[in-house]
Amino acid sequence: MSGALASVPVRAIVRGLADAAARWADADFPPRVRVLDAIVARTGYALPVVEYALDRLFEAISEPALTATIAGELGSLDALDGWTARAGRGRARALPVGPVCIVSSRTTIGVAIPAAVYALCAKCDVVVKDREDHLVAAFFASLAQEHDAFAGAASAETWSGSHDARDLSGFAAVVAYGRSDTLAEIRAACAPEARFAGYGARASVGYVTRESLADERAADAIAEGAARDLVLYESEGCLSLHALFVERGGAIAPARFAGLLTRALERAHVEFPPGERGAGASARLGSARALAAFRAASGTGAVYGDAAARHLLVLDPPASEPPLLLPRALNLHVVDGPDDATAYLQRHRIALEAVAASGKRDDVVKMAVDAGAARIAPFGALQSPQMEGNHGGRFRIAEYIRWITEDT
Amino acid sequence: MSYNRESGELDAEILRVISGWHRHGRGLSDAEFEDLAQRIFAYQLRYDEPYARYCGSLGITAGAMPASWHEIPAVPTAAFKEATLATFDPARAALAFETSGTTKGVGGRHYMETRALYDASLLAGFDRFVLADGAELRYFNLVPNPADRPQSSLGYMMGRVCAERGDGDTGWYLRGDDLFVDAFIADARAAVEDGVPVCIAGTAFAFVQLCDELAARDATFAFAPGSRIMETGGFKGRSRIVSRDDLYAALVGRFGIPGERIVAEYSMTELSSQWYDGADRIKHGPPWLRARVTGADGATLPSGVVGALVHVDLANRSSCLAVQTEDLGAAMGDGIVLIGREQGAELRGCSLDAETLRAIR
Repeated sequence: MSGALASVPVRAIVRGLADAAARWADADFPPRVRVLDAIVARTGYALPVVEYALDRLFEAISEPALTATIAGELGSLDALDGWTARAGRGRARALPVGPVCIVSSRTTIGVAIPAAVYALCAKCDVVVKDREDHLVAAFFASLAQEHDAFAGAASAETWSGSHDARDLSGFAAVVAYGRSDTLAEIRAACAPEARFAGYGARASVGYVTRESLADERAADAIAEGAARDLVLYESEGCLSLHALFVERGGAIAPARFAGLLTRALERAHVEFPPGERGAGASARLGSARALAAFRAASGTGAVYGDAAARHLLVLDPPASEPPLLLPRALNLHVVDGPDDATAYLQRHRIALEAVAASGKRDDVVKMAVDAGAARIAPFGALQSPQMEGNHGGRFRIAEYIRWITEDT
Repeated sequence: MSYNRESGELDAEILRVISGWHRHGRGLSDAEFEDLAQRIFAYQLRYDEPYARYCGSLGITAGAMPASWHEIPAVPTAAFKEATLATFDPARAALAFETSGTTKGVGGRHYMETRALYDASLLAGFDRFVLADGAELRYFNLVPNPADRPQSSLGYMMGRVCAERGDGDTGWYLRGDDLFVDAFIADARAAVEDGVPVCIAGTAFAFVQLCDELAARDATFAFAPGSRIMETGGFKGRSRIVSRDDLYAALVGRFGIPGERIVAEYSMTELSSQWYDGADRIKHGPPWLRARVTGADGATLPSGVVGALVHVDLANRSSCLAVQTEDLGAAMGDGIVLIGREQGAELRGCSLDAETLRAIR
């Protein structure tokens, strides 16, 4: 086994990762403070949004979370350090698959880091090709302070697109995020036997059951969470709320819920101010708002917004209307049940990453399963995935492991 | 006053404005534009029910009129797909143009009660911005033939231009997605041999396709002096986009027509009038067509700031005079600089973006 981390016990690796992450979870940690401006400049997000993202990202990287995931996927941590006995089967050992490359151009904040963390837990050498904010490089520098071996195992380079794609043939595993055409290009550049994990076009939706709309207080809590799920990262991520389904028949009617959500959005704008918005997005938002207002004037649906155009909420648009896919803009579809949501998702061929649900009713869970979701979360937590979770429905560490087993 | 009489009087007034500019170069003062816009808007509030309902929802009614034409509510272009926006029974429409369904693959219709306004407006604009020298040209069209596709506003426009200003040997080379390159080459060679100046009119995408085909055949032409090109925006829904500079360079090389003889036209099915590039590459319109550039809140932005274009076209008497687009531009002097339309939301990472969604639908 080669690699800079080969002789480092996995528990030491996990501890080093968690300790570095703990330092990064501190808002006053100087390296974190130094990269803030660059992240704001790259993403256009407001500073509180960036701070929130970094808090969530690094708070999630903890020893318990990492050890639980490793043990869950590999059976034990010991398999990474040596041969381990397995009940009813021969011994096995989890070896690093080889050098790993993570391409995270044009992503939300720090998407590459969880993947890199697990690849390092697998004792792989990791290269992250990232954008120019240098967040990953700065985190890797902190890792090197935790353990010298990280300096040789983890490196970050600036991704320059197609040119860099030609250099991917030497990696045993490649993880990439981006549009389908980007993923196809990267995949084509990988060695034939390399493992490829592409995280392509996905969206997330919310589903509010009628039972959960039992009273104003309960509805308000859901609205509060949905507002957060919508405004964070300007609705750009695969975990952003891209459509919301609200059932008829609750004590709180969908139109009333829309009103509560509007108020919650106004509060959310205070905690998470809107980021920079390009003229194109503003134009599309203006057009979408005007169209919704036009329909509302004709008796179809309603439109909610504010004078500053910080958000757009459209109640009951036609089912033929695809998600708005605009900053802080959301279509709220009134439905009779999860079948309506399923039909909508199928009609627009939306691949789901996650579903925010106000209750774990069986038919709602089935809708999420049928739609291909990798995660079901409560409202308000959609944008805070757990390290133990399976992004894209994939294993977290097993992707970076080559097993060797002994016959019994 | 009856609807017919009121409509007739407004049409006569608009036609006088068009004719005054077309024949005598007379413009419209701000006050004159304001007055006519307000009266057409008041008329549309009375007779265009969906538009009036929309305006009413925004607090604009006959009893609460906008303070200026800047505040006349603009209907989004997509509204033409949602409702019949007309002051009259569309069964009586003299013209009905179909929108391309740019964003969702669903088209809408722009009905016009009379051809007179549309024809007068398009000819006045074309004469001023494309035929300022009064040239009689042979027209080669890379746009739909109105005989095959009468619902195409671009096809209709070029049909009228060819009928009124052409030499009688008009060519049409686009049917559906098919470009008849061999026919174009044969007609082009004849025009070159005869020394007849031509006007080649088409969408940017059609020109790209034609240039590709001509390059594959190694065909170039040296059209007679006075020849020109009218290019109109048109990459909608197409995957291959080239820069305007590259396209114009290709056109100059392929046809021997100087760059200053390439005129970019910009309009949309929902309008009755057109913008054209001046020598300064700023788009200018006739006096009855104005634009305002709006921000996210719908307010008019200062000159030079990029925002969404809202067009106010007084020749849209029988539909809606104010149309909101997703096209980006900036006011510049008495014209606009057209930036174009961004191709969907710039979403990040593993998220679903608008272009991807559009592509898989």
